[in-house]
Amino acid sequence: MVEAVQVQLKKGVLELCVLALLSRGDSYAYEIASRLAAGIDMGEGTIYPLMRRMQDEKLVETYLVESPAGPSRKYYRLTDAGKASFATQKNAWRAFAGAVNDILGEQQ
Amino acid sequence: MTREAFIARLREGLRGLPPQTIADIVSDYEAHFTEGLAAGRTEADVGAALGDPDRLARELRAEVGLKRWEEERNPSAAASAVFAVLGLGAIDLLILLPILITVVSTLFGFFIATVAIFFAGGVVFAAGPFAHPPGGPATAILAGIGLMAGSVSGFAILTLLTIGLVNVLVWYGRLHYRLLKPAIEPQPIAAPGRA
Repeated sequence: MVEAVQVQLKKGVLELCVLALLSRGDSYAYEIASRLAAGIDMGEGTIYPLMRRMQDEKLVETYLVESPAGPSRKYYRLTDAGKASFATQKNAWRAFAGAVNDILGEQQ
Repeated sequence: MTREAFIARLREGLRGLPPQTIADIVSDYEAHFTEGLAAGRTEADVGAALGDPDRLARELRAEVGLKRWEEERNPSAAASAVFAVLGLGAIDLLILLPILITVVSTLFGFFIATVAIFFAGGVVFAAGPFAHPPGGPATAILAGIGLMAGSVSGFAILTLLTIGLVNVLVWYGRLHYRLLKPAIEPQPIAAPGRA
């Protein structure tokens, strides 16, 4: 039960985390995946379906950069729509997390 | 799992999608392996961290199917979306289906039995008294009424059981859906207002 809740929580905030990482600077999928895997314990493979969807929704766009380690890397950057979506989702998350924390605090 | 095995299973799972889409997806995961190996990890390590390729392929297919439905809105796109979502639950469905079939046929059998007992009770009630039963006509009448009453209460209990079973199924279905849904399309539900 706890596990199921955690999975849902993580999936819900995954996009927000990716938007946050990209708002601090362009990045490539492997780096994003490593950061998320280390931070919130997500399977690295989950990032690719998510990136595809975000690309389809025009939240991110890609460009290629020469890599020292072989083939060129596909970098992702936020579009204007992506930045707007990040601002909206960040505020929604803050409000929600604050409300939940308040309720949890009252019960202790 | 080796890089080769992972990519092969991914390709297998994606079969049927447009070749360009498959090429894009596969190149993403190839790049992931390349990066991981360059960072000093083993193929097995990278493969394990990526997760189950079959599951990934199902999610990616579902994503493509749903996307197509959002763009095209025709019966063929609808079918591909439905199959994509069904495909996601395929394993659970395979486990659930035999159980469901067994339970439903058992219930159906009991329903038939109660109806048969009811009519048998009717026959005993109506015809029994004229067949010189042991204990006299009154016994046959009472036995007939008893059989009919018993079958009616059995029928009622079975109905309650069936309703309960359906409720459990609905609950299970919703639980299943809520777990799956965020993985496939967390935003499309909320996004149309913003997009």
